[in-house]
Amino acid sequence: MIYPSIGLLVEITLRTLAVCLPALAISLAIGLPIGIAIGHRRFAGRVPLVSLINTGMGAPPVVVGLVVYLLLARSGPLGNLSWLYSIEAMIVAQVVIALPLVIGITLAAVGALDEDWELQVRTLGVPRRWRLWLLLREIRLGLLAAVITALGGILSEVGAVMAVGGNLEGETRVLTTAILMYTQMGELESALGLAAILVGLMLVLAGLLTVVQQSGRS
Amino acid sequence: MARLRFSCSFRLRFSYCVIAALALFACSEQTAREAELLLVTTTSVRDSGLLAAILPIFQQQTGIRAQVIAVGSGAALRMGRDGNADVLLTHAPEGEEALVASGAAASRVPVMENYFVIAGPPEDPAGIRTARSAADAMRRIADAGAPFISRGDDSGTHRREVALLAEAGLDPEGGWPGYARSGAGMGQTLEIAGERRAYVLSDVGTFLAFQKRIELESLAPPNPSLRNVYSVLRIDPDRLDPARAERAAKFEAFMLDAETQRKIAEFGRERFGRPLFQPLHLAQHPRS
Repeated sequence: MIYPSIGLLVEITLRTLAVCLPALAISLAIGLPIGIAIGHRRFAGRVPLVSLINTGMGAPPVVVGLVVYLLLARSGPLGNLSWLYSIEAMIVAQVVIALPLVIGITLAAVGALDEDWELQVRTLGVPRRWRLWLLLREIRLGLLAAVITALGGILSEVGAVMAVGGNLEGETRVLTTAILMYTQMGELESALGLAAILVGLMLVLAGLLTVVQQSGRS
Repeated sequence: MARLRFSCSFRLRFSYCVIAALALFACSEQTAREAELLLVTTTSVRDSGLLAAILPIFQQQTGIRAQVIAVGSGAALRMGRDGNADVLLTHAPEGEEALVASGAAASRVPVMENYFVIAGPPEDPAGIRTARSAADAMRRIADAGAPFISRGDDSGTHRREVALLAEAGLDPEGGWPGYARSGAGMGQTLEIAGERRAYVLSDVGTFLAFQKRIELESLAPPNPSLRNVYSVLRIDPDRLDPARAERAAKFEAFMLDAETQRKIAEFGRERFGRPLFQPLHLAQHPRS
């Protein structure tokens, strides 16, 4: 039996964060503005667009992995980047998974605002540049739900990161792919240890976000 | 009101019907499971398509449906040891003999063989084409510090790689600059090697299946230490349900049967232009 050393556990955990946190940041940076824009505007083609986003929220990660794999493969359209089997490829796959979640939940939060809210804000003569800030404050619970859902989705994701990352030791091995590998090797003790770290990580991150979410409540 | 009550009870009745149907389905599944055999094998056997070609015949002859679980050989042997399998089809001779010696397996019968290939980019930067042996090829790869993708997953192929490195007097953990561990199955490991233009040790079947796409070639000359023997291991009958032990014995007999051995000898000709496995119990070798 080859038990993973403590150093290896720390390394895998840090790499997991190094993949998930940038992916989360990118998804939020792109997804929030899009979600807000779609959420409080009415335009032609909005319904098909929203249903497309809702479909994306349930996109099977394995399919996302396959598509990103085909894009990044040497013979694929983005093959020149040489991103396949690297951290970059894993971040790309996770952004594709998290983005619809962020957009979908944000636009639902914006859509759930009182219809009169915008009118009130305008009537009160709030300057334009403050309106966005007020909006974000108003939907902060929904925003945090978006962050927690997206983080949970990418932190626990294994199919896509396995397909585009390849579980290379010291390069692309993260908690979920390592758990899968040790399980298939029959090293259930190691798999269980890593699983405990993964669940603990999610508990800490979700806990922190929930504290932020609840403290903002009046 | 009456109408409402009717619709409620209808819904309730409908749910009962669904539950009853599911329960019936589960029961029929249960009875079907009684004629099943848990066959734990390696990913290389499953991915080659051999089992899909011969197991239907086994079921036709005996009425036994084999449930195939494909894992690395290390995990397969562990499943055998822990009684989570009825019969094994693996390619890790030393581990298999240890399992027999421990009493967990009742028998080990080699049924077929093929060979491992050391594949790499056609440019062959480490010059292994002219290597005197498989171990020499590994030494040249290590000396050149050339990229090499190891399975690193305690599979039969990984065990062979470790043995080759030891034979070459190298650190069995690799450790030269280009050495990397994929921790993935054979197919994905070949994909990674193709992407990185790296050397890789693979069973010939999986290699042939991936060769075109990954643009790697089999470089090391044929060599006795690349021989790859697959054996059937029957788990100790005392650890099994008697009916399952009997089915495991039937599977062993089936694999040794002349008809099955001929099938094995033919398998792969259509897709790859050559057989993937050589049967070990065919008195008269067919045309090759």
